[in-house]
Amino acid sequence: MLRILRTTSFRFTLIYVVLFASAVALLGVYLYNATFGEAAKQTDAVIDSEISVLADLFSTSGSGMLTRVIRQRTAWSDDAIYMLIGAPSGAVLAGNLTALPPEALTAEGGFFNFKFEKPLVDAAGREVGIQQREARGKMMRFRASADAEQSYLVVVARDVASREFLRERSRSVVTRAALVTVAFGVVIGLIFSRTLLRRVEVVSKTARAIRGGDLSQRIPTTGSGDELDDLGSNLNAMLDQIERLMAGMREVSDNIAHDLRSPLTRIRNRLNNALEGDAEAKDAALRATIDDSEKVLATFNALLSIARIQSGEGAGVMKPIDIVAIAEEMAELYEPAAQDAGFDFKFIAAPTPQIKGSRELVSQAVANFLDNALKYADGGTRIELSVGRSKSGGAVLSVADDGPGIAPENRERVFERFVRLEQSRSTPGSGLGLSLVSAIARAHGAKLELSDGLPHAEGGGCGLRISMTFAPGD
Amino acid sequence: MRILLVEDDAEAAAYAAKGLRDAGHVVDHALDGESGLNMATSGGYDAYVIDRMLPKMDGLSLLSNRREEGDETPALFLSALGEVDDRVSGLKAGGDDYLVKPYAFSELLARIEALGRRRAAPTDVVTRFKVGDLELDVLTRTVRRAERKIDLQPREFRLLEYLIRHAGQVVTRTMLLENVWEYHFDPQTNVIDVHISRLRAKIDKDFDKPLLKTIRGAGYRLSDAE
Repeated sequence: MLRILRTTSFRFTLIYVVLFASAVALLGVYLYNATFGEAAKQTDAVIDSEISVLADLFSTSGSGMLTRVIRQRTAWSDDAIYMLIGAPSGAVLAGNLTALPPEALTAEGGFFNFKFEKPLVDAAGREVGIQQREARGKMMRFRASADAEQSYLVVVARDVASREFLRERSRSVVTRAALVTVAFGVVIGLIFSRTLLRRVEVVSKTARAIRGGDLSQRIPTTGSGDELDDLGSNLNAMLDQIERLMAGMREVSDNIAHDLRSPLTRIRNRLNNALEGDAEAKDAALRATIDDSEKVLATFNALLSIARIQSGEGAGVMKPIDIVAIAEEMAELYEPAAQDAGFDFKFIAAPTPQIKGSRELVSQAVANFLDNALKYADGGTRIELSVGRSKSGGAVLSVADDGPGIAPENRERVFERFVRLEQSRSTPGSGLGLSLVSAIARAHGAKLELSDGLPHAEGGGCGLRISMTFAPGD
Repeated sequence: MRILLVEDDAEAAAYAAKGLRDAGHVVDHALDGESGLNMATSGGYDAYVIDRMLPKMDGLSLLSNRREEGDETPALFLSALGEVDDRVSGLKAGGDDYLVKPYAFSELLARIEALGRRRAAPTDVVTRFKVGDLELDVLTRTVRRAERKIDLQPREFRLLEYLIRHAGQVVTRTMLLENVWEYHFDPQTNVIDVHISRLRAKIDKDFDKPLLKTIRGAGYRLSDAE
């Protein structure tokens, strides 16, 4: 519970509640003043003008006229209250008050509020009870002249009981409404922060589990697509990437251990043996060792490149590239070498959609295809580099030859690291070329495929075609 | 040339320094970034060879530091990090060239000498080059040998232009691939050699004296000398 009080959402709710309650209070005060305040002022003004009319009447026509007018007015109006008392005798000359309110004498000349009793009359005019009413008024003393002994006390008031009742009612309604608002806000705030807190707690729990070593944990998302869901899926994407990188790192270190251990062991053994031998044997061993270390370095570099491409690091920024231009450049680079090796080299370019990628990596992949064709298409006479639109609307790059080819059942294995098929054992190479290409393809979301190449001139067989198909861009 | 080599691997440095000295250069060696910076600040070098990952101060900071001081000594980065982005950050820090470890010594030597040449070149833009009786004009894009016009394909022209700009120096296959084709990977086949032999057929074949020579285990050199 205390935790909830510390949460951001609860604090926000609280601030909101306070602001909202203040707004309600301000509105109440304004409404109150605009209605009851105004009404009270009007009542006071009416009373003042009534008094001045009566004062005029008294000075021009005397007390008899005053008495008559007051009688008339009390008869006509229900909520108007008058009282005329002759002083010092104290006789009530006219009016509808049964007694002079005690507040009148103390507040002479000023406004005062007072309570009075009013008979309750039924429809037939019979008295059925007494009603407590409230009124506001003013009492003035009228004299015929400044030194006249005889004076009159005039009370003019208005019944304000119903207005007072309404005022009390509104005040309590507004107060209650404000209290309910605040209470409601606090409860909603608690519920909100609890819900939010629970979802944050899930994220936190997942993070703890991951920190504990379980990288496969993911933050569950509700599918509502709100900010927290968004945060969750972003964090999940980040975790996916991290997991992929970690797996890549592990794979690289495994591969390094596996692929470099044997040549290094060979080097050590050879050097050990050479120590025993004569100068000539030592020379031979050193030369062989240099060759071996070159190979180790090449393998190492290839593994590193593959790892970097796989981790998305080597790809650099993927930007729109013109794949036809890339193929054309590679054709230009390789054509002389292919011709020298006795191949008839052909470059076929069809209109090709632009794709996003890295010029360097795609070029490297094409170079690899062509290197392979040159190396392995023994006895072939043709190499064809083509680029065009794929069936699905993307771009496709392919290199085909009419060399010995690869049997369909062996084609899948070609992409595995270090797999060098039996026939090609004698050709130099780390065996990592196609793994590199496959990493490049993955970095581009492209698909690699081996299929039948160009048909042999005789014998009905065919060479190999390797193609890289890029998904259509947006 | 006086070369400052900043490299924390003492053995690798000794190997590189010995080779450079054998090639007639003077080499000073610093084992970490800070002492490298101090030595560079004292001045007098014709080229820097800086490893990117160094103790105390990394190679990029070292060179940016010097470049901020207005030091324009050509610099070559050595690095185990070879991807395009690393290369770009090296060049951005003020490096003039970038060589990925492990490298062949001949590659390092050729590149350092190319750097020295770049510095020695006069500041005016040269548009006509001449080696022996072979002439290349960059503006008219014409090549003549012994007053005879030679027709070259655009790429052959660029290849010859690069060679002639580095006339007298060894130029490696990787340098050609990087500068003429702008690729930063090594093909496994002899593609560059074939381009060179085609170029050679055009500029050397019909003449008495071959100018474009193959330097075994290193690369090529275009020169008039024997």
